[in-house]
Amino acid sequence: MSFFRNVASGLRSLFRREHVSRELDEEVKAYLEMAAEEKMKEGASRADALREVRLERGSLEVTKEEVRSAGWESVVETFWQDLRFAQRTLRKSPSFAVVAILTLAMGIGANTAIFSCINAWIINPLPYPQSERLMVFATHDKKNGWSGDHVTSAADFFDFQKLNSSFEQSVAWTGASFNLTGDGSPELVDGGRVTWNFFDTLGAKPILGRTFTADDDRSGAPHVVILSEGLWQARYDGDPKIIGRDISIGGEAYAVAGVMPGTFQFPLMGIANLWTPLALTDKKRADRSGSWLPAFGRLKPGVTQEQAEAEARVFFFGLENQFPQTNANLTWLVNSMTWDIRRKEGGPELMIVFVVVGLILLIACANVANLMLARATSRAREFAVRGALGATRGRLARQLLTESVLLFFLGGLGGTLFGFWGMKLIESWIPSHIRGYMINYGHVDLDTRTLAFTLGIALACGVIFGLAPVLENARLDVNRTLKEASGQASGSKRGARLRQIFVAGEIALAVVVLISTTLLVKSFIISVRTGPGFNAANVMTAQLALPRTKYTNDSQRRTFGEDVEVRLRALPGVVSVGAASSIPFGGFGQGVEVEAVGRVAQPGERTGAALWAASPDYFSTMQIGLIKGRFFNIADSPGSSPVAIISQSFAREYWPNEDPVGRQIRFGEQHTVSTIVGIAGDVMRDHLREQGSWQIYVPLAQFPASTLAFVVRSSADPTMMATAVRDAIWSVDHDQPISLAPLETLINVVDAGYRVVTKLMVFFGALAMFLGTIGIYGVMAHLVSQRIHEIGIRKALGASSVQVMGLVFGSGLKLAMVGIAVGILAALGATRSLTTLLYQVAPNDPQTFIGVPILFVAIAIVACYLPARRAMHVDPMVALRYE
Amino acid sequence: MPDSPSDLVQGTLDMLLMKTLALQPMHGYGISVRIEQMSKGVFRLNAGSLFLAIQRLERDGLIEGEWKPTENNRRAKYYALTPKGRKRLNNETREWDRQVAAITRILETS
Repeated sequence: MSFFRNVASGLRSLFRREHVSRELDEEVKAYLEMAAEEKMKEGASRADALREVRLERGSLEVTKEEVRSAGWESVVETFWQDLRFAQRTLRKSPSFAVVAILTLAMGIGANTAIFSCINAWIINPLPYPQSERLMVFATHDKKNGWSGDHVTSAADFFDFQKLNSSFEQSVAWTGASFNLTGDGSPELVDGGRVTWNFFDTLGAKPILGRTFTADDDRSGAPHVVILSEGLWQARYDGDPKIIGRDISIGGEAYAVAGVMPGTFQFPLMGIANLWTPLALTDKKRADRSGSWLPAFGRLKPGVTQEQAEAEARVFFFGLENQFPQTNANLTWLVNSMTWDIRRKEGGPELMIVFVVVGLILLIACANVANLMLARATSRAREFAVRGALGATRGRLARQLLTESVLLFFLGGLGGTLFGFWGMKLIESWIPSHIRGYMINYGHVDLDTRTLAFTLGIALACGVIFGLAPVLENARLDVNRTLKEASGQASGSKRGARLRQIFVAGEIALAVVVLISTTLLVKSFIISVRTGPGFNAANVMTAQLALPRTKYTNDSQRRTFGEDVEVRLRALPGVVSVGAASSIPFGGFGQGVEVEAVGRVAQPGERTGAALWAASPDYFSTMQIGLIKGRFFNIADSPGSSPVAIISQSFAREYWPNEDPVGRQIRFGEQHTVSTIVGIAGDVMRDHLREQGSWQIYVPLAQFPASTLAFVVRSSADPTMMATAVRDAIWSVDHDQPISLAPLETLINVVDAGYRVVTKLMVFFGALAMFLGTIGIYGVMAHLVSQRIHEIGIRKALGASSVQVMGLVFGSGLKLAMVGIAVGILAALGATRSLTTLLYQVAPNDPQTFIGVPILFVAIAIVACYLPARRAMHVDPMVALRYE
Repeated sequence: MPDSPSDLVQGTLDMLLMKTLALQPMHGYGISVRIEQMSKGVFRLNAGSLFLAIQRLERDGLIEGEWKPTENNRRAKYYALTPKGRKRLNNETREWDRQVAAITRILETS
């Protein structure tokens, strides 16, 4: 009760100030009058009586002031006064205000933008109910230490699903591409094949129809399919009667069972618009050899991740004993799905960027703190006067703090604007292809948390860095300052020292940021210059999957491929044409286990390699380099003995001291044996910073594939070829869906995340450098203006211009050197965390560690030049008269 | 200096003030006169501490003020003890008696 009364009374004083103060006035006056009347009864005159009362009872003005300042509301009132005063002071020096607020807005805005991304992608939970109970399974080889994002085998999965006691549900799935035919032109749609409980376990509800049931998931059950809202709208015009309707997938009829809302997303699967039940045959369900299914589960309430993993460990220990052939050394890891998704979304990279923007904010704050310090020095006289008039130190400190908090608050507002713009920009940099992999994509927004973060850092920095001028002010000697004739106090030594520490510190930070940025940019440039091992310019690609229902045997597939190649070659503007089972950066990769014939493998040794079946002209079209031996030719036909080409890294690492050409390798499930006829240059498959991987090529004619990718090199812009290429393929089979894209686009899409990070780092590196330059310039300029008098005396005493200039440069460069040295040391430690992002650049790359500091010395020289010139041109007479 | 007014023991002003008001509502000046009379001139309040104490007690809901005409036809704010104030006064008086007794015992034994 009394608390509310207190608040109410305080509010009354605040908002009805006139009234309350009049009331107090009247009360006190009544008191005075009554006391005086008493005195007058004793015979004193009225004037004497009043005087006596004042002496006895104290001054009434002071009384009123005492009463007024006792309530909490007076703190608010003082704050309000300070705020208005601060606003007036800022308005009186607009250039200071603009520079400071802009600097802060840049620093804070960078943080807001990055934080909003982190908030959406890392802090916000996955968009599934109780997502913390979702766990993904991973295979782990205890002996060799590798892990894979899939379960050991279908049989292991179904056994575990049936027998475990930790999980409510366990789900297996696999990404797939579906050929949609009928209802318009054929289309290749990405999606997944999933066990029936996929949607229910995630807690996703359809907007139309139903999710899958256990009956749907049996081999031989009637085909059903679930569509995404996007696909339903785009291809079926949002047909409200779509449920139960048959659509044609790969030539077979599938009844539509449900439609999932557009907001449903499963980043581990990427972009998915269509799902069918996994519906494995009994034989496949019992298969323990393969490992290709990703899987996840939902923990029962109350079961922890550790308990589940312990159970899995025991379970797989049993399987190891039971099936040593297939399960030796293998176990499952149980990882949080949230963690798994965040890791794949590039969480670590984002955190590095976050650290960088944090450093930039520090640089910006140091700059502004310096400006405020400089102002505090030149306002010393003002504060001395106010001190002399009775303002306490605390009161002055409070006012200075209010000023800096106001400044930072305005910076925070500006930062919010910059941040909003920045986060939209960042989001737009993410290419559509990988948006499916980003959880909460499109939900990067200025929510309450982001706003709280922005204003929080603004105010926190305002208080922390606002203390600098307060500390400076605390040592103000009122007498001395007032006595100083010029009114230009030279500032305490410690204040100057503080400013120097700030500048050296911010240069150090800028050096760290710039070195990190340079390393990233350098590895980016190297990776672009190195190239992917082939020439992607002017190449159009057409990827397709031949339906097994239509192309049932090898010769049909071979004929299709050869027919298409002939027709493509006949197109005008085409330079050459090749075909392969898949292409780098394309959709259908294949890996096999491989060993050399006649070489005893170490027990448990697994050697995997990428496998491509390629036509003879594939190499010349892609412009892949031949290191040794020969490429394929027409003679490598189905009838002739199997041959293979291996990549340079494979050759070098597997046969370090021998010539592999002429040797035989055994690979794949069929244990095919092929003779090596050539060594090709390494080709990057998935991203541009790959270290040489093991690769095997076999002739497409000998190993016809059901997935095909045609590469068409043209003499001009490959996008012009798209229609012609599609029509050429459709002239062979009009129902065949095709995915067309220039090869360069495929690479760009995969590389986008790295490009985004690199772009951000370049931008922030430039920002850090810019702020650092301003910082050192500001301090030098201030230093010179503070020492004009001293410089004048020096000149009057015979110092030459060159000596004066040396003085300025000397002190400026000394600061810069200290900052740079500290920065180099800090960077040596910091860049180690960049290792995973770097490509063929060491984290302590000497060129960078020499180049960046030299750049900063140059910047320091430039930043010192203007102040130095001013110092040089100081006229001793003018400077002395300046007094 | 036994003749000049003494300072109040810290924290007792509120109690004295409430005690004064326990008999009848009073205005500020009345309170200070009454305290002086009751203490036979030992305590003399200056206006600052008086009005601070009044504001404090009013905000805590222990006393309530009301504007009324005085006997000399002047307007003054009369303060009265609230029930809550009365309870507080009783508690504090009891506590005070206890402490004084204890202090006296200590002073006498030594």
